[in-house]
Amino acid sequence: MERITIDPITRLEGHGKIDIFLNEEGDVANTYFQIPELRGFERFCVGRPVEEMPVLTNRICGVCPEAHHMAAAKAGDAVYGVEPTSAAKKLRELLYMGFYFTDHTTHFYALGGPDFVMGPDAPVAQRNILGVIHKVGLEIGGKVIQARKYGHTVVEMLGGRKVHPCTSIPGGVTKGLTEAERQEIEKMGRWGIEFAQFSLQLFSDLVMGNPYYVDLILGDIYTHKTHYMGMVDENNHVNFYDGKVSIVDPDGKRLGKYAPADYTDWIAEHVEPWTYLKFPYLKNVGWKGFTDGNDSGVYMATPLSRLNASDGMATPLAQERYEQFYDTLGGKPVHQRLATHWARLVELLYAAERLVELATDEEITSDKLHNVPTQTPTEGVGIVEAPRGTLTHHYWTDERGILTKVNLIVGTTNNYAPITMSIKKAAKSLIKKGTVVNEGLLNMVEMAFRAYDPCFGCATHSLPGQMPLQVTIRNNEGEVMDVLSQYVHPAFLCER
Amino acid sequence: MSGTVNELPRVAFFDFTSCEGCQLTVLDALQTHPELLKVVNIVEFREASSARSEDYQIAFIEGSCTRPGDEERLRKIRETAVYVIALGACAHLGGINAIRNRQPLLDVRQYVYGDKAEWYDTYPARAIDQVIQVDAVIPGCPIDRDEFVRVVTVLLQGRQPKLPDYPMCIECKLHENICVYERGQVCLGPITRAGCNAICPAYGYGCEGCRGLVSAPNMESFQEVLAQHGLSQAEIDEKLSLFLTNQTLLEKELVHG
Repeated sequence: MERITIDPITRLEGHGKIDIFLNEEGDVANTYFQIPELRGFERFCVGRPVEEMPVLTNRICGVCPEAHHMAAAKAGDAVYGVEPTSAAKKLRELLYMGFYFTDHTTHFYALGGPDFVMGPDAPVAQRNILGVIHKVGLEIGGKVIQARKYGHTVVEMLGGRKVHPCTSIPGGVTKGLTEAERQEIEKMGRWGIEFAQFSLQLFSDLVMGNPYYVDLILGDIYTHKTHYMGMVDENNHVNFYDGKVSIVDPDGKRLGKYAPADYTDWIAEHVEPWTYLKFPYLKNVGWKGFTDGNDSGVYMATPLSRLNASDGMATPLAQERYEQFYDTLGGKPVHQRLATHWARLVELLYAAERLVELATDEEITSDKLHNVPTQTPTEGVGIVEAPRGTLTHHYWTDERGILTKVNLIVGTTNNYAPITMSIKKAAKSLIKKGTVVNEGLLNMVEMAFRAYDPCFGCATHSLPGQMPLQVTIRNNEGEVMDVLSQYVHPAFLCER
Repeated sequence: MSGTVNELPRVAFFDFTSCEGCQLTVLDALQTHPELLKVVNIVEFREASSARSEDYQIAFIEGSCTRPGDEERLRKIRETAVYVIALGACAHLGGINAIRNRQPLLDVRQYVYGDKAEWYDTYPARAIDQVIQVDAVIPGCPIDRDEFVRVVTVLLQGRQPKLPDYPMCIECKLHENICVYERGQVCLGPITRAGCNAICPAYGYGCEGCRGLVSAPNMESFQEVLAQHGLSQAEIDEKLSLFLTNQTLLEKELVHG
């Protein structure tokens, strides 16, 4: 049996990779996508005070610390049974919209987008943000940098730092907003709405206007009919910061909505012997293996899932784009994984609109920032939508608020089963008898999981947006027959 | 300093166990200070480029050493580079990774890896200078962008970078922040090296000590302050262990797995 290993150079003790096993005929026998565990965080948080979790768990990842910061603060609220002040909730959400704006921009322009703008078969040296700038125009490079900077500035103003913010605590936040800062944020947000509209137009022109890409998106290679998950507000509109988690089946029928504290009624975890990460699935549907369909408990949690699991967007312009999305792609739910890139841009627009809504809320400069917890701490769950999927923090404490147990289901973990399925399907469709495995082909396999934007920081977030991959092909004696490398172009230096 | 790319100092970035937040801050600094790219030649920086080089003069290292196998890689970097700089709390102190040094490591490994714990040769997280000689440090979690630019500038002028050697409290006073102890919170400012503009206290959150201890900290007096605020020894240790396990608690109770 021949074995192809796609080995992203990882930062976490070196064991995250894709293995593609070929049989003697040269067909794909199986694929394994192994994800590294979290450096023991769940274990070493035990014995520490729960108030510390917003600043400790954000250190899990330098790419999305804001998501852990928020989930930890919300779990802290729940542990103490304290409701943050109304202004504090808005300030947290405002910080979070700044984060989303930067993160989604990065993914589209530096990570996922280049495959479309440049084409999946384009030489790797062009398939990056520089290629995009070259093709679409120099002006766009400046806009992308501006967009990322604006999002970061909001995070920095409210969180103290762009990486590892420190201001959300159980019961509220420690820092408010001055009128001058508010005005600056409002201005940046209005620019952000324009930028998001521009990005959607770009997608529409370059991707949906190109029949080859439309076929690629709508084709079978990248399609799975799974369940979908995403947080919604009381009107069943997408919400990143707060609400209930909605689940829909592959026909788009809502199976229910759960409050954070009830997540264990809905989610269970399956264990496979070949990896250390567990596969979450819908408990009531059951684990039927790596397969899609109504009987399989496999679900997805991504921008596409959030749109599928909701009834719409809470802001007017994003709602228009939401409708256009489903009208164009043939109704709800959309199962084609590559449409995730489009869904992400609809969310980008929502983040910008919501940012302006919050920045113009009369309560946003309030000094009522914190409700002091008065109850004895026990147990609590906090959920936010991380850009890469629903993020759950569950803490148990003793009566002093010292953690006795911690459970984290991180965004990417939700998608572990679907990512595994997508890689296998793409590999099977593309690598067939006698196929020469080349760079373009491997990129088509990579595209299967790049759509999920797995936070595998090392992988998809290795800026400028390409994954440093080394693919080793071995014969059945285990000898190295060939080494293919995809090198990243040293150029676009993103803000973080 | 100017010249052709080949004449510029060759700079490499390396990462060990970390969240990569410091390298991302460096990328941010290169964007806000693009002129840096005209005075150095970056020959290896995984976060931005897949180019590799074994010929460099200045090495920046992010992350802690958490495996015996990391030591060999570190020694190779030390042999090659003229100047080695620890980048951020993980490299400087062991950082967050060192929290686990107070727990039996086999326990941590079994929690994470189950019955395959034996496969992974994790050991107590070490600061880089616990393995190789380090010539300079840029502290913090993550590093401060402006301090990074300052240190690089000083280095390129052929001088030894110096960090502030007074406690965070001084910066806090200069900023006229309300002391977070007055708000009933705990703060490691009295013993922590200044230089970040006291961000956390300025944003209403007690200092976590991510920049490490100031030289000759008055620990006895500090522990008295904490005790006055009703913190038990265990709670004080917990506070110190977020970033300062190796510096303040190591000898007392480090458990090797």
